[in-house]
Amino acid sequence: MTTTTVRRRALIAATLTGALALTACNSGGEADGGDDQLTIWMLTNEDSRVEAMDLMTSGFEEANPGVEIVVEERGTDAHKDAMRRAAGTEAGPDIYWYWRGPGLGGELVDLGVSLDMTEYYEEYGWDDRFTEPALANITQYGGYHGVPWTVQGQGIYYNKELFEQAGITDLPTSYDELVAVADQLAAAGTTPMALGGTVNWHVMRLLDNLLETFCGAETADRLNTEQTGWDSEACVTEAFTELQTWGDEYLNEGYMGVAQEDSAQLFFQGNAAMTIEGTWFNQQIVDNGMDPENVGVFLFPTDTNRIYGFGEGPYVNAMSDNPDLAAEFLDYITSAEIQEQVYQAWGAISVNREVEADTSNPLNSAWVEYFANAEGIFTNNDQNLSLEQTTEYWRIQNSVLTGDIAPEDAGTTFQGFVDSSS
Amino acid sequence: MTTHTSTAPRSASHPRGVNRGRGLRAVPFLVPATLLYVYFLAYPMVDSVRLSFFEWSGFRTEEPVWVGLQNYVRLFTADPVFWTAAKNSIIWVALSLALPVTLGLLIALGLNRAMLGRNTMRAVIYLPAVFAPITVAAMWRWIYNPTLGALNQFLTAVGLESWAQQWLGDPTFALYSVFAASVWTGVGFTMVLFLAGLQQVPPELVDAAKVDGAGRWQVFRNVTVPALRPTTAVVVILTIINSLKVFDLVVGMTGGGPAQSTQVLALWSYTQSFANHTFGLGGATATVLLIMSLALVVPYLVWALRGDDR
Repeated sequence: MTTTTVRRRALIAATLTGALALTACNSGGEADGGDDQLTIWMLTNEDSRVEAMDLMTSGFEEANPGVEIVVEERGTDAHKDAMRRAAGTEAGPDIYWYWRGPGLGGELVDLGVSLDMTEYYEEYGWDDRFTEPALANITQYGGYHGVPWTVQGQGIYYNKELFEQAGITDLPTSYDELVAVADQLAAAGTTPMALGGTVNWHVMRLLDNLLETFCGAETADRLNTEQTGWDSEACVTEAFTELQTWGDEYLNEGYMGVAQEDSAQLFFQGNAAMTIEGTWFNQQIVDNGMDPENVGVFLFPTDTNRIYGFGEGPYVNAMSDNPDLAAEFLDYITSAEIQEQVYQAWGAISVNREVEADTSNPLNSAWVEYFANAEGIFTNNDQNLSLEQTTEYWRIQNSVLTGDIAPEDAGTTFQGFVDSSS
Repeated sequence: MTTHTSTAPRSASHPRGVNRGRGLRAVPFLVPATLLYVYFLAYPMVDSVRLSFFEWSGFRTEEPVWVGLQNYVRLFTADPVFWTAAKNSIIWVALSLALPVTLGLLIALGLNRAMLGRNTMRAVIYLPAVFAPITVAAMWRWIYNPTLGALNQFLTAVGLESWAQQWLGDPTFALYSVFAASVWTGVGFTMVLFLAGLQQVPPELVDAAKVDGAGRWQVFRNVTVPALRPTTAVVVILTIINSLKVFDLVVGMTGGGPAQSTQVLALWSYTQSFANHTFGLGGATATVLLIMSLALVVPYLVWALRGDDR
């Protein structure tokens, strides 16, 4: 090989490298295309949801020739990460799927990522379309952010056979009665409640309900919005004390080392009498071989008449070039005609008040009644608190359960963190 | 056949200008790898250190705010998890240097001699190293399951029911339970490195030592160990680095819990940045981890290289 050949090859290699580098610099363009394209970012869909999404996008494209809808799916963390990187840039989607609540959806609203859709609510009359709990999720930040899609309720699912075997005839209507039920189940040799501790948020459902029970609706809300101190409310200590009691006496053995899906198996296999789950659990019960007739659900007896729940759904990106088209699409997918065909892929109840719930699963009927009679919703604290606070909230919750933090120190410890982080 | 061996350096036979020309011609071939290295390794590392002096949520709509050393002050004085994570990382390094390294060496010594089924045993011991850490985590999570897991069921079956524990749910045991899975998956790799090192031990030196009346222990101590010095250096350095950056096994088995009791620095840095959206604190934790790594690896590397020079 001559020196000239080597030099020529080196020159070609250098040129290609330079071109590659320039290409790399130019990557990461806009996700959305022209005026007739809508880009939607959402969580990875299960099969039933993929079908529902196809139905909605193809239906809209047929009704609007020339319009193309591009759906990009990601896992939970990847989706959050993508939104963080795209926030405030033109690289984001037209519509993004996100959770409701000040901690998650609210963070993006505060950063100006979500478009205030007040004008579209007036134009399409959406105020009359959606149920009240669903709309409350949209208006909680001020203005109208996104459109309702799901409102998930969470309660105590119980195994009727195990309740019967323990001699329990009436469902608990107060916290003391719930504890009595747990005592009866434990005395009968049944694990009263199954929860998975490794994922934090599963046991958190118990703590959130205990705070609602002992603090009441108003104080619980004030705690979550930093209007009162966690160290100044006696009810916080009471809630953590009860949490410790549940951990010591009523939860499945070794729950702190068990994931949520493993604890669910204890319930499905009849090894635990109760668990705290949500409306999505109605279908999972069937999928895991349980007869829904043998399962019941009741609301945690907080005595506030609020449903423990949360919402999720589509928001319109404030940077979208096609907000009108995005609103038109959202109007289409939340219409009664489409909702009747797709809502069950996401939950037990549609957010459209005209759509009646499918009551072939008796658990769906129970939720319809609970939502009809509830006086509002209190949201999971991992959606109320900031991300940083949530991590600490879980650490304190688990430390109380492992005995590393005394219940009476829990509120002070958390308030100390809130103060130092702000 | 006559063999001619030149003792002069090869470069000495070429004029200086030719060498410089060859060096320049090599540059374009080195550029792609250098660019990738700088972009994917050097830049994120430097940027992580830079971020540790800022407060930033990670959102591009928010500008990072310069806070000087405030993140470090908060990390050392107010972060409720940092010291637990630091302690756990140090415990992990110490245990990794003690257990998998010793076990790997002993197994390598045992399987370096001629015996029936030697290759099969080597393969079996190395096998866990080929599993993805997240798969290992899932397997061991089931083994440790307090009610349905193999470990507690085995203990119960052999009459040791009182030894059954909440292996991942009790902060006293959780870190060590995760570490046991790490030993299972890591010892095979260490064994392979030592086996390779043992092939470099000059057999004539071993024979000479035996002729001089040295026993097994004396041969091991005075011949094998010095000959394994370069291999040991590699094993120790890799062990320290891998221990400090342990992440996936902890995520898969405990997520850092219960109550952050199995938290380690690498995972805590990730959690602060990507879960808590506090990139400044995450950067500060990563910087501390970088300094710890350098403080442990560099002195050992210098010592090991000096030994080579001798």
